[in-house]
Amino acid sequence: VFAVQHTVGISEMSVSNQPEDVLVTYSLGSCVGLSLYDPERCVGGLIHCMLPLSKIDPQKAEITPQMFVDTGVTALLTAVFDLGADRSRLIAKVAGASSMLDPKGLFKIAERNYTVLRKLLWKNGIFISAEDVGGMQARTMYLHLATGKTVIRSQKVEREL
Amino acid sequence: MSRRDEILEKLHTVTALPAAALHVVQTLQDPEASAQTIKQALHHDPGLTSNVLKLANSAIFGSTRRVVSVWDAVARLGTANVSKLVMVVVVSPVVQTPVKGYGLPPNELWKHSAAVALGADFLAEFCRLKSQQSAFTAGLLHDVGKILLGTLLEIDSSPILTLAQQEKIPFDEAERRILDIDHAEVGAALLENWELPPPVVKAVRWHHQPDVETSETVIDLVHAADALCLSGGIGLGIEGLNYRPSSQAVARLKLTSKVNEVVLCKTLSALAELQGMFAQAKGE
Repeated sequence: VFAVQHTVGISEMSVSNQPEDVLVTYSLGSCVGLSLYDPERCVGGLIHCMLPLSKIDPQKAEITPQMFVDTGVTALLTAVFDLGADRSRLIAKVAGASSMLDPKGLFKIAERNYTVLRKLLWKNGIFISAEDVGGMQARTMYLHLATGKTVIRSQKVEREL
Repeated sequence: MSRRDEILEKLHTVTALPAAALHVVQTLQDPEASAQTIKQALHHDPGLTSNVLKLANSAIFGSTRRVVSVWDAVARLGTANVSKLVMVVVVSPVVQTPVKGYGLPPNELWKHSAAVALGADFLAEFCRLKSQQSAFTAGLLHDVGKILLGTLLEIDSSPILTLAQQEKIPFDEAERRILDIDHAEVGAALLENWELPPPVVKAVRWHHQPDVETSETVIDLVHAADALCLSGGIGLGIEGLNYRPSSQAVARLKLTSKVNEVVLCKTLSALAELQGMFAQAKGE
């Protein structure tokens, strides 16, 4: 069976229950990528959120909830539940939240994204089972539906998360 | 001959933009550019005119009346917007090439350049500065030096990246250590050859070092827009986010977390719109 790759752009998400599917998001900078996977049902989803909170533009959040961590994670959870995933079985993995060489925190988008994401998952009773966050590198994140394997590619090196 | 002189020498052999297109870019830098100026600038290039009209029609998609002339486009979209569309059409072929040595796949540099142009424009609006054509133009062209270094001079960026990581210094500083020059200076030298106005050249020259030259606000605008777009992951190369934002530039523009996030949000939406317009214009 050939893998079918689905690209998740910035401020997009994708969910699937097809084992041949691979969900991928490129160019995670200060954004956060979150993969959710229910191994029993082979249901998974991947989202690429750019900004922490939707309150800066509620109208935009109506049209593109995936842009913001708060509305995006909620949308992703709803979508994987709709495909039959169960909250108690969900495996959550996180990547991204890189920053510039910015010790003064002038553009602390990454830190805010990550904090809001953690808080939201915690509120939903979901633990982060693995993560690759911080630093200054760009990351690509893959979710393989057949196995639930999450792979991170950064600076030409791939590793399983 | 030093590495730096060698690189600058080679620049003189580069003509990345046809003369007619270059003329259009130069003409549109005038902030007072009128509809008449735009029309005259486009006059010699029917191909360019037709592309601009296609984009203008995509921009007003859904309207029953089509834009059929430059006058029409100006009446519907305003001089400033048509001027920006023209700039995007002219500059796109230059920044659409993949930048091999810098790990930028095809279209990534275009995305990044267009986003920084749009972002600089939004920042000007939020900082209550007069919207400046030079900020948009400089945004579109700020990384043109990467094309020259990475594609035309086939410089391999791996040792530069290694040095940056080992010494924990920004990527542009590593470029200067290894090449005696960085992509900002290379780009600015090219734009100077093209006789673009000094604010555009300066903004490109100092977009990673906005505290060296503080004479033009447009430098800070491009610097901050670049930082935001890098953070947003819009068109990242091999070096990722490895640049240093300037706290002084942030203070000069009086940027807050909220302004930054609102501008990044607007920039991504406007970029998607622009990409949609291009896709649609191509499909016609």
